[in-house]
Amino acid sequence: MSTILEIERIQTYIGQYHILEGVSLKVPARGITVLLGRNGAGKTTTLRSILGLTPPREGRVLFEGKEIQGRRAFEVAALGIGYVPEHRAIFRNLSVAENLRIAERRPGDLERRAELIFGLFPDLKRLYKLPGDHLSGGQQQMLAVARALVADNKLLLIDEPSEGLAPILIEQLMEAIRQLAATTTVLLVEQNFIMASRLSDTYYIIDDGRVAHQGAMKDLLADQELIHRYLGTAVRGTGRSRTKGGQRS
Amino acid sequence: MTRSFWKNNQAALIVAAVLIAFVWVGWSTMGQTTFVQTALSGLTLGSLYFMVASGLTLIFGLMHVLNFAHGTMFMIGAYAGWQFYTNPTFIFGLLPLAFALLAGLPAGTLLQPLVRKLQLPERWQKPLRWALILGAIAVGLAGVIGLDFRGLAATAMVAVTVGVDPLAEATAQEPLARFWLRPLLLALASLLLAVANQHPGSRQQMLRRHRRWPLSLALTGALASAVVASVFREAGALAVLRLDANWRFLLALVAGTAAGGALGAVVEATLVRPLYERHLYQVMVTLGLAFVLMELVQVLWDPLPYQMSRPPIFSQPGKAASLLAWFSEGSVTVNILGVTFPSYRLFIIVLGVLMFVLLAVLMKYSRLGIIIRAGVQDSEMVESLGINVRRVFTMVFVLGAGLAALGGIGAAPFIPVEPKMGDTFQVQAFITVVIGGFGSFTGAAIGALLLGLARAFGDFLALRFSLSPAISEASTVIIMAIVLLVRPSGLFGRRD
Repeated sequence: MSTILEIERIQTYIGQYHILEGVSLKVPARGITVLLGRNGAGKTTTLRSILGLTPPREGRVLFEGKEIQGRRAFEVAALGIGYVPEHRAIFRNLSVAENLRIAERRPGDLERRAELIFGLFPDLKRLYKLPGDHLSGGQQQMLAVARALVADNKLLLIDEPSEGLAPILIEQLMEAIRQLAATTTVLLVEQNFIMASRLSDTYYIIDDGRVAHQGAMKDLLADQELIHRYLGTAVRGTGRSRTKGGQRS
Repeated sequence: MTRSFWKNNQAALIVAAVLIAFVWVGWSTMGQTTFVQTALSGLTLGSLYFMVASGLTLIFGLMHVLNFAHGTMFMIGAYAGWQFYTNPTFIFGLLPLAFALLAGLPAGTLLQPLVRKLQLPERWQKPLRWALILGAIAVGLAGVIGLDFRGLAATAMVAVTVGVDPLAEATAQEPLARFWLRPLLLALASLLLAVANQHPGSRQQMLRRHRRWPLSLALTGALASAVVASVFREAGALAVLRLDANWRFLLALVAGTAAGGALGAVVEATLVRPLYERHLYQVMVTLGLAFVLMELVQVLWDPLPYQMSRPPIFSQPGKAASLLAWFSEGSVTVNILGVTFPSYRLFIIVLGVLMFVLLAVLMKYSRLGIIIRAGVQDSEMVESLGINVRRVFTMVFVLGAGLAALGGIGAAPFIPVEPKMGDTFQVQAFITVVIGGFGSFTGAAIGALLLGLARAFGDFLALRFSLSPAISEASTVIIMAIVLLVRPSGLFGRRD
């Protein structure tokens, strides 16, 4: 299996805080790789370091074999990496159509991908003209994922898509991400272990800024002790009940 | 549905209600003539406030930069336009140097592959960089030494104060045989700066690869422009002076805007860009820049107020019976709803409205507009989509500075052109932006309208009841206080 993204011992600081202390991981092309771990373990920072939003001070990031650390985020993204940040960071003062349109890298991207996007999220077609802040939390999350699909991305970084969503919406989102993984690669950060375990093939557990464990998901599922040790607080039956969605930036 | 309509457009509806009530009260108590007269004055002021405030609000909303040099852009625009209109000798004399400076930058970037070959131990990298920067400054100074800036600047001054024929004054330029070295040296200086900016000798230097042909094109263009501008320094100025004064005024509007935009580009690239995320420094740097530019202008043109004459189409004696009649007569005043009103002020109102419509269309429909609106909310996410946000920042800064400069040259024919002319406009523009909500373009327009009217009607009240004229100045601050009490983030500001 070929590797699309490789991270070698990256050290990332935010201000004076040492967040990532030598994280290394390999993301195989096609399929879903999940980053697990407690709150504050460094999962989001790992995604942001890949993209260059919090550039690592040391270590290498290789995308399709090329070093990309130290490049500006827009250049990294333009190589074919889509980002779905946590808290469904859509542009609330833009309409759904504009939210999608802005993600075009070449003219006509949206038309080319419209079938895929509206196939996965038929609701968006109905909401096309509405401003982003009129959408429910779930619809905003759909839009955030859809936005990452407009350009021709080879790798999608998706950060906690299930956060604050109702169970039925989580099911729909899971289905969409599973379909995506057939044609592209997904690196997923997920607190909802049930969702993560049903989606992904490979897992990495990040703890205190290091990779504590890694392997195939089916092995992890058999190891209750490991799950309990690292993810104890994170195991949950379904997603959290929906809080007041969509108001956070 | 009706509830949500009310909620979404609360601010706009309240403003509309206030304005309608205001018009009704004003019309019935002041009488038609006085009311229309005062309202038009207010609209003129509002137009100018809008041109300064719209750039300010966009720059702050997108980049979180409080640009305290924005009023200075207004002033620079006024000076550039006034120079161009009265006697463009100064502008044409310096144009080749500007093009030469511009040419050095792509040339430096083209040298990048060569520079990258150089590998030096770390302790030599910093000294080399500083040597290059100091060398650039030295070469640049050598390029302008002995150039009679004040003499060039004086041509328009003389034309204004003595009233001599500007054509007689237009030709005094240094002979080309001596001049040609200057653009060459300045191009070399900016090339050295561009190389210094690549951190030569370092392995960690910027890895960005540039496509060569756009750079070569830019280099060729700038070089050719520098040569052409050097040769036609005198002929260009003469040609402009021989032009019909109305066309010259139109060109002066363009020249003033371009001067402001160019200044904005330089300021953004050299002073603001290294200081993103350091807001206090930006305030100090832009404030310092405002003082420096003001002093520079005083050195060149003395701290005197100048009156720029109006183009003929706004200055023929007489009074046009209607707008249509004005087109053929070009008279100094026009009859509007039974009120005699200066035609030039109407032009300012039209210019302001035109700018608003153009900007509104740009913001609503163009890709740049969508990116700007998205960036006001979350510029990091915009960058994550693969968009070079820094370049958009530069464009917005240039756009804002250009708009302020356009306001300046627009205002020049009816307020004195002096170094401090931008100060009051900057203060009013800040108040406008606070009323409208930081980052909101519509807010800036509405705020400017409110402030303009408040100033005009404040002046009227002060005159009528023999109050202190300070009341009209205070009125804008009072409006700001009321708006902030009701909506702490401004009329159209976001509430998070």
